[in-house]
Amino acid sequence: MMERCLGAYRWRRMQRAFRKFKVTIICLLLTIVVLRGTIGAGKFGTPEQDYLEIRDHLIHTSRKRAEPHRVLEEVQPQQTMASDSSSSGGGGSATTNSYTEFDINTILKDEEPDDKPDPNKPYSLGPKISDWDEQRATWLKENPQFPNFIGPNKPRVLLVTGSSPKPCENPVGDHYLLKSIKNKIDYCRLHGVEVFYNMALLDAEMAGFWAKLPLIRKLLLSHPEIEFLWWMDSDAMFTDMAFEVPWERYRDSNFVMHGWNEMVYDEKNWIGLNTGSFLLRNCQWSLDILDSWAPMGPKGKVREEAGKILTRELKNRPVFEADDQSAMVYLLATQRDKWGDKVYLENAYYLHGYWGILVDRYEEMIENYHPGLGDHRWPLVTHFVGCKPCGKFGDYPVERCLKQMDRAFNFGDNQILQMYGFTHKSLASRRVKRVRNETSNPLEVKDELGLLHPAFKAVKVSSS
Amino acid sequence: MGKDAFTPQKRVTSGSLPTTTTNGGGKYLPGRVVPRGRQIKKTFNNIRITILCGFVTILVLRGTIGVGNLGSPDADAVDQSIIEETNRILAEIRSDSDPTDPEQPPDAEINPNVTYTLGPKIENWDFSRKNWLESNPEFPNHVNGKPRILLLTGSPPNPCDNPIGDHYLLKAVKNKIDYCRIHGIEIVYNMAHLDKELAGYWAKLPMIRRLMLSHPEVEWIWWMDSDALFTDMVFEIPLSKYTNHNLVIHGYPDLLFEQKSWIALNTGSFLFRNCQWSLDLLDAWAPMGPKGSIRDEAGKILTANLKGRPAFEADDQSALIYLLMSQKGQWMDRVFIENSYYLHGYWAGLVDRYEEMIEKYHPGLGDERWPFVTHFVGCKPCGSYGDYPVERCLRSMERAFNFADNQVLKLYGFSHRGLLSPKIRRTRNETVMPLEYVDQFDIRRAKH
Repeated sequence: MMERCLGAYRWRRMQRAFRKFKVTIICLLLTIVVLRGTIGAGKFGTPEQDYLEIRDHLIHTSRKRAEPHRVLEEVQPQQTMASDSSSSGGGGSATTNSYTEFDINTILKDEEPDDKPDPNKPYSLGPKISDWDEQRATWLKENPQFPNFIGPNKPRVLLVTGSSPKPCENPVGDHYLLKSIKNKIDYCRLHGVEVFYNMALLDAEMAGFWAKLPLIRKLLLSHPEIEFLWWMDSDAMFTDMAFEVPWERYRDSNFVMHGWNEMVYDEKNWIGLNTGSFLLRNCQWSLDILDSWAPMGPKGKVREEAGKILTRELKNRPVFEADDQSAMVYLLATQRDKWGDKVYLENAYYLHGYWGILVDRYEEMIENYHPGLGDHRWPLVTHFVGCKPCGKFGDYPVERCLKQMDRAFNFGDNQILQMYGFTHKSLASRRVKRVRNETSNPLEVKDELGLLHPAFKAVKVSSS
Repeated sequence: MGKDAFTPQKRVTSGSLPTTTTNGGGKYLPGRVVPRGRQIKKTFNNIRITILCGFVTILVLRGTIGVGNLGSPDADAVDQSIIEETNRILAEIRSDSDPTDPEQPPDAEINPNVTYTLGPKIENWDFSRKNWLESNPEFPNHVNGKPRILLLTGSPPNPCDNPIGDHYLLKAVKNKIDYCRIHGIEIVYNMAHLDKELAGYWAKLPMIRRLMLSHPEVEWIWWMDSDALFTDMVFEIPLSKYTNHNLVIHGYPDLLFEQKSWIALNTGSFLFRNCQWSLDLLDAWAPMGPKGSIRDEAGKILTANLKGRPAFEADDQSALIYLLMSQKGQWMDRVFIENSYYLHGYWAGLVDRYEEMIEKYHPGLGDERWPFVTHFVGCKPCGSYGDYPVERCLRSMERAFNFADNQVLKLYGFSHRGLLSPKIRRTRNETVMPLEYVDQFDIRRAKH
């Protein structure tokens, strides 16, 4: 038929040409396919996306376990959602009653642009205050109903912690933040400590781990009745509910952190101290140290350059931007005369306890020891450094982190529940079981640890 | 004509071929002799295309599926395996199964003839409590001139069905922490099911009883749902109004007694005095709660007796309404049905008016001008489906949260950029004399 169209001669010429260029044409096709497979062809996608589409289609129709898969996929950035139909279905609809397909970012609005800081001005946390001690003392005298000591050896303490105002990237991150704050609420209720949960970024320049500095300064200045501010990271949990911080020990100190003197001053090790859990007195000295601490924090070039200095000067520090902990080590190591006498590096108990060496020993602790010790036998705080449950990827395997956080939470929660006659069925279980029967004389029953009416919560009895 | 000359020649040559090359038996096809080398070359030529096509296929497959250990060129395959691992763990965490008892014994069938009880009957609680308070003066039931209040709230121990639910639980808890810090109230956040029978909305009953009996120094126990937010940070409950009452609950008496409506009262936010009367009321309230046939049957009774109640199992609110209605004489003299301020404020009528409130009124009123509590009934952000569109619910919850947060941030000189914005802006510059603003803006100071 083609022969009749083109003529026999032409047709044969075409056939011959085709035969000769067979290989060339096939190589051309091959190149195109390979390029599509690697670089992709824009909206025509790549073979991998085709494969994923087909797989998802089969999964949706045949398997019900797509649910967690879909949930995590929603949270992933755009790469896998280019041609995914599930995202466009739920997010766009304004009338759906289902929470599983909803994207919170369609609601949250930023109504004003961020202020751009002046690049020529050096960063400062605020105007310099030089007489804070006097101002505060006057205020306390004028306001006797807000004393800074609520007991003979008990200062008024504010525990400060916080997290981002936006939902976590990890679907269960918010759940662990919730458990963590419940844990802190429990400890603080028992010990008469107030809690401040921060969800606001006070200064866009000091974002990330530096965000605590402007917050701490603001709280110290706004709450003169606070004697000590206790900063605690959101990934740290109380595991000893009975341990009371030895406040008299810090009578002459203004800054208490967990760490070792040799590691900070002699070795300049970047993990010589930990800024995930520390106490800071409300005084002029603290404002000054915050001012000296802050300069390495402003994000961008300043933080990057500072990071390089810190990696160079401190032992074992990896290469990354300046963080508040390394900056504090550097500050103390280089200006020991100025700050060292008021800094107490505590290691007699776990004001911060690295989780890696503690979490596997909980059963052993339950068998051999009892709450109230606060140290390696029964740690006050178990701090999940590196786990980053709110982010997508941490420094440790997800399973180990989350399971151990559950265990640490239950370990602490058991001490609360035993007040009411319950305990978790096991350290891994969310369920509770009764360990003390109800009685018709509840007031005669004392809880084992004496946490229902502990001495450190007793109100001063006025002799009248 | 040339053609004719060809063919005889050809025939001759073809004819002569077998004679010159025969050496081993007439196995060859007549007409062709092919040396080994050329044969191979020809075969190769023919299968050249096949080989090329084979390469194409392998490359395409490698680009898509990967070749297992040999790896795929796409680095996301590594992320993919991590993500699948995470999925598996998340699904495990979200599931209700207990890792330690794989074969759970079936729940013992409760005997429907035996009335359920919260615990052994206590007869003289008022007397015991008074004695205890006298012998423990360091734990008084009044602090700074105000009765000691304990706020009780809670949520299920497992993660919500979807992540946004946990996020709003977290924000709600922050909101409660802020109010309670300002007003000197202690919080108990419950995440344990103390009693398997009374699960769900009934779980508050055993917990309230337990706390009352363990903390005699607490004068009032205030239950608040996890989906209720404080929106007036200045307002304080006027406890002096309730010296002769033991239960303070938001509702409307006419809806309760005349219309017998199932929403006459709201058990999302109420106060119980720590006394014998409260223990008795809890004991009378609990019997409709045990899950299973009792709760279902009770649900039918409630639907039949209360106006507007849909058909579902017994819930604590309907049960309390029914109890107070049917045993009016026994209980109502000690119940204060409060509606002069929003101890519970149904969100739908309030959330759109926040801007108007900011313009016209001020915190501290607690009523429809500036609601004390905004309660997001029906939104159920922790579940999969609510009774209202998700966008409306979450948008409103975010607005309510920020509306309240602005009142807290005022002391620090900040405010949210908008009621829907997570970011804040400065409303007051930093100063070297911060204490003058503390005197002006601290809510605690303003009252005392």
